[in-house]
Amino acid sequence: MKGRPFFVRPFSPGQARRKRKPLFSAVLLLLIFSGCLFCPLFFTGDPAYMQLSSSHLPPGRDFFFGTDALGRDIFLMIWHGGRVSLLIGFLAAAIAAAAAILLGTLGGLAPAPLDAVLMRLNEILLSIPSLLLTVFLQAILGKATVASLSVVIGLSSFMGMARVVRTEVRQLKSSEYVIAARQMGAGFLRILCRHLLPGCMPSILFMTVMNIRGAIMAESTLSFMGMGLSLETVSWGSMLSLAERALSGGSWWVILIPGAFLLATLVSITELGNSLRDGLYQKQSNL
Amino acid sequence: MKTAGRVFKRLLVFLGSILLLSLVVFYISRLAPGDPVACYYGDQAQRMSPARREWAQERLGLNAPIAVQYVRWLENALQGNFGISYKYKRDVLEVIGERAGNTLLLGGGSFLLLFSLALLLGAACVFWEGRLPDRLLCRAGTVFSCIPEFWLSLLLILIFSVWLRMLPSSGAYSAGGAGGSLDRLYHLILPVAVLLLSHLWYYAYLVRSRLLAETREDYVLLARAKGLSRRKILFGHCLRGILPSYLSLMAVSVPHILGGTYIVEMVFSYPGLGTLAYESARYQDYNLLMLLCLLSGSLVIFCSLLSEAIGGRLDPRMHLQPFEEEKR
Repeated sequence: MKGRPFFVRPFSPGQARRKRKPLFSAVLLLLIFSGCLFCPLFFTGDPAYMQLSSSHLPPGRDFFFGTDALGRDIFLMIWHGGRVSLLIGFLAAAIAAAAAILLGTLGGLAPAPLDAVLMRLNEILLSIPSLLLTVFLQAILGKATVASLSVVIGLSSFMGMARVVRTEVRQLKSSEYVIAARQMGAGFLRILCRHLLPGCMPSILFMTVMNIRGAIMAESTLSFMGMGLSLETVSWGSMLSLAERALSGGSWWVILIPGAFLLATLVSITELGNSLRDGLYQKQSNL
Repeated sequence: MKTAGRVFKRLLVFLGSILLLSLVVFYISRLAPGDPVACYYGDQAQRMSPARREWAQERLGLNAPIAVQYVRWLENALQGNFGISYKYKRDVLEVIGERAGNTLLLGGGSFLLLFSLALLLGAACVFWEGRLPDRLLCRAGTVFSCIPEFWLSLLLILIFSVWLRMLPSSGAYSAGGAGGSLDRLYHLILPVAVLLLSHLWYYAYLVRSRLLAETREDYVLLARAKGLSRRKILFGHCLRGILPSYLSLMAVSVPHILGGTYIVEMVFSYPGLGTLAYESARYQDYNLLMLLCLLSGSLVIFCSLLSEAIGGRLDPRMHLQPFEEEKR
């Protein structure tokens, strides 16, 4: 190391830049999660309780985060609403993952013509803006509830993952260890669960985390537009649907506080998701 | 001859998809809860006697089975008659025509800005790979890609319209008629900023990862060995290498930018197709909704066909490795 001129950047292929673990994001996410999970133990008030006499109050001693146009306590709503938002995120991502694994493995293992048809359909769905798809599906199901919204968001976000799963299954299918397993008489389901799925687990995991993020975002957008959860069902999105009224009244806390929680959660989830993926180039740039 | 056949086949696929789309949209829009009669007659609809209500539905052609209604609509549509809007009580084409210009201005303007900036930013990241500018840009990208569009719009309105009182928060021009093109630009600043900030990073990141792979190629090493400057190699060689796939990416992304403009238009109450689509879906303005869906649907299909065509024509390698859609 000593004889190296100062302008030559150190490079050792073996230990190329090590990725840092997203500790901060993990702690933040943990705090938000546990706050939402355990909030009924500590804050016993009803978040949907409206008291019109105390509407539009700025953050203060009585209401830590102020109150909204309907006189609801934003501090309570944040934690209770977070439960709903996160629940929708997880449910939708789980539904998307299930659908993607089903369709992806089907496409990957099916004979070529069926595979082609499936993937063509998948591509058509993929090219439709997902927000439009959610709005349409929601229109069929009628009034939105937590369950129906999760199903709708899940079913409109599985396509990208299905494509990845299919490609990976297709590659793994003809790998030697799968052939060996088949030689030994392993059944279809066993090969699928023991050999194929673990192989695609990293990408499934990464995309699921990203789907959680996408679902939370979709919920908030839909609820904001008035096509998702109604005002009585408190979630981060439905809290923000009062934002336009808050703009004219200048009550910034109604907009900024739920948004800040939303943003902190989304950024932390993204950081965690990115750390799951080995994205760094091991090879040195030629440039 | 071969190309003529292929074009014909493409055209058939295109028409078939549009027809399928119209059928699906038609059924779904009628399944959705809501009352189109109320949309046409306004408050009167609630005070109508059953007999009069029957008559009103008959008049709007809503009594027949859905299949019959669809055939009737299709017949008219093929003759260029898409019906009237229940809310505006005018020809649908007219209503849309009035607003299309505004959306085109907003969407087209942001589209061009977005893709030129994304290319520049991506290239900048690669030029300073792993150093401060690159890391800063990536970090900013992660954060901005997490902000929902509607919230970003609210934030910007709060800061620039409510607090600083610098920029208008809604509309496409000042009240009292068109105040010249400067006034329109003034109203475009915030919506375009939202569209840019929320989409830019995604595309810049795609450019970055693609360029990073490109700089690992051997020809770059050769060019370095011959003494070309890094800037020249990056902009003259690497960028040119990814350009065909970038163009085809641009074509595929048109619908996504369009989806973005819809939300932004809604928040800024910008008189464009987005607000129109939102209204028509909410208030069961069937004819308007149909035409808007068909328009965006044909745009989606057209763009994906266009991107395939661009890819194949400009760069034979495209068949081997399409621009990977990396999700972050």
